[in-house]
Amino acid sequence: MSENMPVQSNGGVADLEGRWRDIYTYLERPGPLANDGFEPGDQVKEFLHTLKILVIGAGGLGCELLKDLALMGFTDIHVIDMDTIDISNLNRQFLFRASDVGKPKAEVAANFVMKRVPGVKITPYFGKIQDKDEEYYNQFTIIICGLDSVEARRWINATVITMFDEEDPETFKPIIDGGTEGFKGQSRIILPRMSACYECSLDMQTKPTTYPMCTIANTPRLPEHCIEWASVLEWAKEFPDKKLDGDDPEHIKWLLDKASARAKEFNITGVTYTLTQGVVKNIIPAIASTNAIVAASCANEAFKIATNCATAMNNYMMYVGDQGVYTYTFELQKKEDCPVCGGKAIKVEINPAHTLEDLMDLLMDRKDIQLKKPSLRTGTKSLYMRAPRMLEEATRPNLGKQIRELMEDGEEVTVTDETLPISIQMTVRFTE
Amino acid sequence: MIDRRTQKYDRQLRLWHAHGQSALENANVCLLNGSAVGTEILKNLILPAIGSFTVVDGKAVEVADLGNNFFLTQECLGQSRAKCVTQLLNELNEEVEGKFLEEDPTVLIEANPSYFQQYSLIIASQLPTSSLLRLADICWETNIPLVIVRTYGLFGYARIAVREHHIVETHPDQIVDLRLDCPFPVLRDMVQGYDISQLDSMAYGHIPYIILLLMCLEEWKSVHDGKLPLTSTERSQFKDLIRSKQREDVGENQNFEEALAAAYRAWTPTKIPSHIQDILQDSAADNITEHTPTFWVIARAVRDFVTNEGGGYLPLAGTVPDMHADTESYVKLQTIYRTKAREDCAAVKERVKSILVSSGRSQDAVSEEEIERFCKNAAYLKVIRYRSLKEEYEQCTLTGKKIGNWLSDPDDNIVFYVLVRAADLFYERMQRYPGAGIENVDEDISPMRQCVSELLAQWDRPDAAVSDDLILEIVRAGASELHTIAALQGGIVSQEIIKLLTRQYVPLNNTVVFNGIKSGASVYAL
Repeated sequence: MSENMPVQSNGGVADLEGRWRDIYTYLERPGPLANDGFEPGDQVKEFLHTLKILVIGAGGLGCELLKDLALMGFTDIHVIDMDTIDISNLNRQFLFRASDVGKPKAEVAANFVMKRVPGVKITPYFGKIQDKDEEYYNQFTIIICGLDSVEARRWINATVITMFDEEDPETFKPIIDGGTEGFKGQSRIILPRMSACYECSLDMQTKPTTYPMCTIANTPRLPEHCIEWASVLEWAKEFPDKKLDGDDPEHIKWLLDKASARAKEFNITGVTYTLTQGVVKNIIPAIASTNAIVAASCANEAFKIATNCATAMNNYMMYVGDQGVYTYTFELQKKEDCPVCGGKAIKVEINPAHTLEDLMDLLMDRKDIQLKKPSLRTGTKSLYMRAPRMLEEATRPNLGKQIRELMEDGEEVTVTDETLPISIQMTVRFTE
Repeated sequence: MIDRRTQKYDRQLRLWHAHGQSALENANVCLLNGSAVGTEILKNLILPAIGSFTVVDGKAVEVADLGNNFFLTQECLGQSRAKCVTQLLNELNEEVEGKFLEEDPTVLIEANPSYFQQYSLIIASQLPTSSLLRLADICWETNIPLVIVRTYGLFGYARIAVREHHIVETHPDQIVDLRLDCPFPVLRDMVQGYDISQLDSMAYGHIPYIILLLMCLEEWKSVHDGKLPLTSTERSQFKDLIRSKQREDVGENQNFEEALAAAYRAWTPTKIPSHIQDILQDSAADNITEHTPTFWVIARAVRDFVTNEGGGYLPLAGTVPDMHADTESYVKLQTIYRTKAREDCAAVKERVKSILVSSGRSQDAVSEEEIERFCKNAAYLKVIRYRSLKEEYEQCTLTGKKIGNWLSDPDDNIVFYVLVRAADLFYERMQRYPGAGIENVDEDISPMRQCVSELLAQWDRPDAAVSDDLILEIVRAGASELHTIAALQGGIVSQEIIKLLTRQYVPLNNTVVFNGIKSGASVYAL
């Protein structure tokens, strides 16, 4: 497209003197609302143009973020995404075309922005965030997340916060996180151990709608109940060895037929293909506008944090666009006993006559830590470990034992879970 | 099974459905100035498949445009900005047709005011005040929705001006219309025919809470002269009455818990909300002609329904929330509500037809689906009549009174509206914005402060204060257009345009100011 334009090897582009006029207006002038330590001039420009920034996710938010960062003068951008492009992405993920369906998002998005914005280097990685280690994450100055899963957010949050060594300021990485749903969204800044982290606010997460099993099995009333019956119970019965794939039209069609038959039997109306897919995949409505708002807010904060040219948001913004325009910006409070950034053990109270299994259930019910498959050990022995298999078999009998047989009142127990890259310390207090 | 277009637009169809989509696809918008914020707005409209767009811009692409506008490349330098951005925007969606006009919008507004009549909506980006006011008059006279947008440094501004915008589907969190205090005959008969003493414990634990509330309320009214529980003592007595129906042999009490939690619905009288009453009585629904918008035709039919068949009530919505119940009783209840809603709606449809015929239109001029949606949402309608830009700018005392009140809070974002207006005043005098294109920023501070004072005096609020820090900060901004603010403001404005064009959800009334330092938006009716 621009072959006749010479690109210098240092990433700067000839003939584009004055391209950053609008950004430099801010970076060359002092201002009363600038952050402490802001020094206008060449140094801050150079820092902006050379620092490494990571974008996690190349979907709805990711596409916007890459564009936004490239046009705010960031020139060394990395992007991770494990997904390939689906047709339903095209209504908002504007770096993709119909001919890109099936290709890796990170690579297509990176190439597009590099081609459009001269001088920007975007390094894509097509894979999981868990593939990368601390050394990889340590190379970045700022990390921005445009993710759609709670688990990935928890993982990156815990990884980046655990990496922070207070004696080595280089290991301090601000995380900027965005999310959207329909006309609503939010953006936030996480400063490791200084401000609330993702884990501190885990109980703010709205859990996906679930339906009681007895309703699904015995008293369906809504079309959703019939769909859940087909996907949870009937599928497993019919195809015990096949994983249900919400993107496979054959699978959805099979569920649709099953659910429709059940709905007919119970005189329930409203089972459709769209609803079936929506329930099975837990589809969240998404539009370009909302992604634009949230991603731009994240990129704007990244620009302010990188340059200090103005103070950053403190520290959470909600955007609600369905009934007028409404935002709420507030300081989300750090939790002292946050298992990731608090450094204090969480407290659990239990009757010592109860069993270890009861304690496990108690932990899994807690909205603030949300464990799926916890393993437990004290300082001296394993209480229950899910892996390896030998250890699981050896510790399984403990599940039925009373707590008082296994530990002392006030003893510290270490909890690990596959959803978390770190362990949680827990103090168990006995109640009588 | 499912077509490609439905797949492509699946994530948005879940928000505004097929009829919202077709409204969007029938729209034809015009953007004045292919600025960074302008192209960002269009991007967010082209992706969901707006019908068509036109970019009007007389400028040639400058090097600084490449630093904030994603829809330009190096080879565009020196070429028409209208042409270049349109070309790259057109790549976003093959279903959308984009055109361009190489003309300075300020010239076009003066020379050819009738040009704008062909569009469903006009977006004015980064336009100077004098042209803007002229354009606003043209749009107001010809009844074309106008959306104004500005980015200024780390700040954003947008304003909607439409004579009248009405919304049927405002999308409340839930539609609740149970008529517990005034059950219609079929519902009352159903409850009276319900012999709960015969039920086994399983069935008893699955009586829908609506039935429980209706039964208890009937019993309550029979010993209280037909009155609802009014005082707090009566209300707790009513709750005790509900509790007294619980049976020892029934293990599960979820339906009773739901009944107690929803007890307030039983003692809240069903009535037409006053803002809905205002809409139904609006003079726009008095004399229906062949040009009356369909919204007002249906509103008139509903008004007449309420005073006749409806017996003082709106047409029933017909939705029943999910509740702990066995399938049969729930479906039966649902059928009763739905049937009654269909009957109410049929009556409204008849009225619509006869209104249409007597006003000289075909009786099918309003679709059945539209009437059905109106009836279902009758308690949640909304009509917004915006203040015109002319009124905002010319009725200084009123505008100033509002602004003065907001300004008394030093943290309020209204100050950025004042500062951008002052910068416009500065521009009128100097033909450049404060702090723009100069080396020494300090020399603009005092003339800018002067502009702020004059504006405040014009508004009769000479005492109102704007801090020196903020004046300095706005001079520092030098009218720069940062891409993040363009993208953010572009996102906000495109959401608003989608709401205006689909006539779903509620658009802002009428001004939004975004503060990119603290990160937050404030809305003002100016």
